[in-house]
Amino acid sequence: MNLKQAFKIAAKSIAAKKGRSALTMLGVIIGLTAVIILVSFAKGQNKWLEDYYASMVDNSISIYAYKWSMYGSDESVAEDLYSYCQQMSDYLIGVTPMSQVYGNTTIKFGSKTITQDNTDWNSRPQIYLGNQQYTVCQGYTLAKGRDLTYLDVEKLNQVCVLGAKAAATIFDYADPVGQTIYINGTPITVVGLYEDSGLDEYSSKDRVILMPYTLSRLFNGNVDSGQFIAVAKDATSATLAVTMLNGYGKGLVGDNGSFWAENQNQYIDNSNEQSRMQQLFLGGIAAISLLVGGIGIMNIMLVTVTERTREIGIRKAIGAERKSIIAQFLIEACLICGLGGLIGIAIGYLGTAIVCKLVLGFISWPDMTVTVGSFLFSLAMGVIFGLYPAVKASGLQPVEALRAD
Amino acid sequence: MLIEVKNLYKIYNEGKENEVRALDGIDLQIDRGEFVAIIGASGSGKSTLMNVLGLLDIPTYGEYHLDGDDVTTLTDKKQAHTRNKQIGFIFQGYNLIPALSAAENVELPLIYQGLPIDEREVRVEEALHKVSMFDRSGHKPSEMSGGQQQRIAIARAIATHPPIIMADEPTGALDSKTGKHVLEILHTLHQETGTTVILITHDNSIAATADRVVRISDGKIIYDGPREGAGL
Ligand SMILES: Nc1ncnc2c1ncn2[C@@H]1O[C@H](COP(=O)(O)OP(=O)(O)OP(=O)(O)O)[C@@H](O)[C@H]1O
Ligand SMILES: [Mg+2]
Repeated sequence: MNLKQAFKIAAKSIAAKKGRSALTMLGVIIGLTAVIILVSFAKGQNKWLEDYYASMVDNSISIYAYKWSMYGSDESVAEDLYSYCQQMSDYLIGVTPMSQVYGNTTIKFGSKTITQDNTDWNSRPQIYLGNQQYTVCQGYTLAKGRDLTYLDVEKLNQVCVLGAKAAATIFDYADPVGQTIYINGTPITVVGLYEDSGLDEYSSKDRVILMPYTLSRLFNGNVDSGQFIAVAKDATSATLAVTMLNGYGKGLVGDNGSFWAENQNQYIDNSNEQSRMQQLFLGGIAAISLLVGGIGIMNIMLVTVTERTREIGIRKAIGAERKSIIAQFLIEACLICGLGGLIGIAIGYLGTAIVCKLVLGFISWPDMTVTVGSFLFSLAMGVIFGLYPAVKASGLQPVEALRAD
Repeated sequence: MLIEVKNLYKIYNEGKENEVRALDGIDLQIDRGEFVAIIGASGSGKSTLMNVLGLLDIPTYGEYHLDGDDVTTLTDKKQAHTRNKQIGFIFQGYNLIPALSAAENVELPLIYQGLPIDEREVRVEEALHKVSMFDRSGHKPSEMSGGQQQRIAIARAIATHPPIIMADEPTGALDSKTGKHVLEILHTLHQETGTTVILITHDNSIAATADRVVRISDGKIIYDGPREGAGL
């Protein structure tokens, strides 16, 4: 009795019991498919959550810095803060004052007049005041012309840069660079144009008209909003910069003003904890489905013990050695569970692709450890419970095995 | 002497109140080429005797020499080889493997013997022809009548050309006509190849076809001799 014969007998036995073999295989297939899809989906969902939280991470720092002086607000605060932030270039990308021109503004170009009354709010330009770092702080890209410069701010140059929608509203898609518009009667030269950021109509980003913040004396009655926005390189830098800014700011404004700097990231800190919980939960589900699959295999294997005990009795009576019976059952279990496992893995990968694509929008492939681990687990279950009747019955006297009912 | 048994006992639940002495001191010798019928009432111990003689069961006490070898001390592996090479079994309940076809059932002992495929095919064909079942080679046991299944079982028993055939009530589940046919096959085999046949039955008319009759009762041999004196 050699291995080849054991193989032949096992293959014959599998082929002869197609229904039972298929059923056992189905148990393995379902178990593996379920585990692979669940675990991969869980992994994908985690990645999705991580990405989502990453997209939520906001590295911008809101700063409020205001100081009274004999003449109202103290303009030197903006300059001091700016130069302090320049020193923090390891952490910060930029800093800019940020205020809006409020009230019913009138924008004129040629014969065209845009006011609150004749233009819908969702196409009406929004006038902002900032410095030469406004562009980088708000994530704009220049499409044409030039950005604001330090000199524009310093010299109170009456210039502006237009958002794509603002330009479209005022100039009807003609080239705005070099043209002069009148805002509340003040001539302002358009020096640059931003690229369309592709946001929807409810976003005001592309409706911007950006002017040097030093022009506030012409538009906001010289009232300084005291608001700044700084952008950090990453979340860690943001946290550090906030601490540093708060330390610096107290000295900057002294007792005659107020200062605070803050970053939104602290409010989404628990996201990691949440995704860890998710991972644990889905890992648990996977373990349970593996267990259920395993019990399925066990069940099918054990259900046939009596039937197989008789068969073993017959085989012993006609001269099978104990070891060839065990070899036959071992090979049978390995073939069925191995083949079932491979099919299960294939379906699992396919299912993963489909489910992830449909639900998450991207494919998260199963980990090799999960695939190999669950394959080995179901193989082990199959072998253990497939061998059980063989080991038990082949040790009996043939008459005892034949008597099984 | 092919089979030599001395003081053979098979005792179930020994020493307990429900003790059964299925074999109660059997002395028996069977020579090569004999056709022996073992007869007795139900529960007298016929099947137990055959199981012990066929190495399907172990005796509680006693000596058993098969072809001169003491087989009570054989290892499991040697016992398997002996069953495979020396003995062909025919059971009342056929004991075919239901999932395998007729030819595959007949082939099985030959595979365990390690014969190459071409030789196996020759033997399977020959055995199936002997029981006139060659045309049913591909059928499963469930697709055959009782008599046909028993003929497949006989084919399986003779395929290895064993020196001994042991048949436990081979006609017990068959009608008399079919039973007669099965019996004829065994007689033909005995005459043509000189195979030793041990036939167990409780049917006098079947026992009467054997040269020698052994009658047992309550695990003891109460008659052993030619059929003429067996009172059949
Ligand atoms: N496993 C067992 N445990 C206990 N007693 C048993 C066992 N097997 C058989 N016996 C008893 O041994 C005795 C002999 O049984 P055996 O099967 O050899 O009888 P038999 O002559 O073949 O009868 P039958 O003609 O009905 O087949 C019977 O009394 C039976 O009850
Ligand atoms: Mg019996």
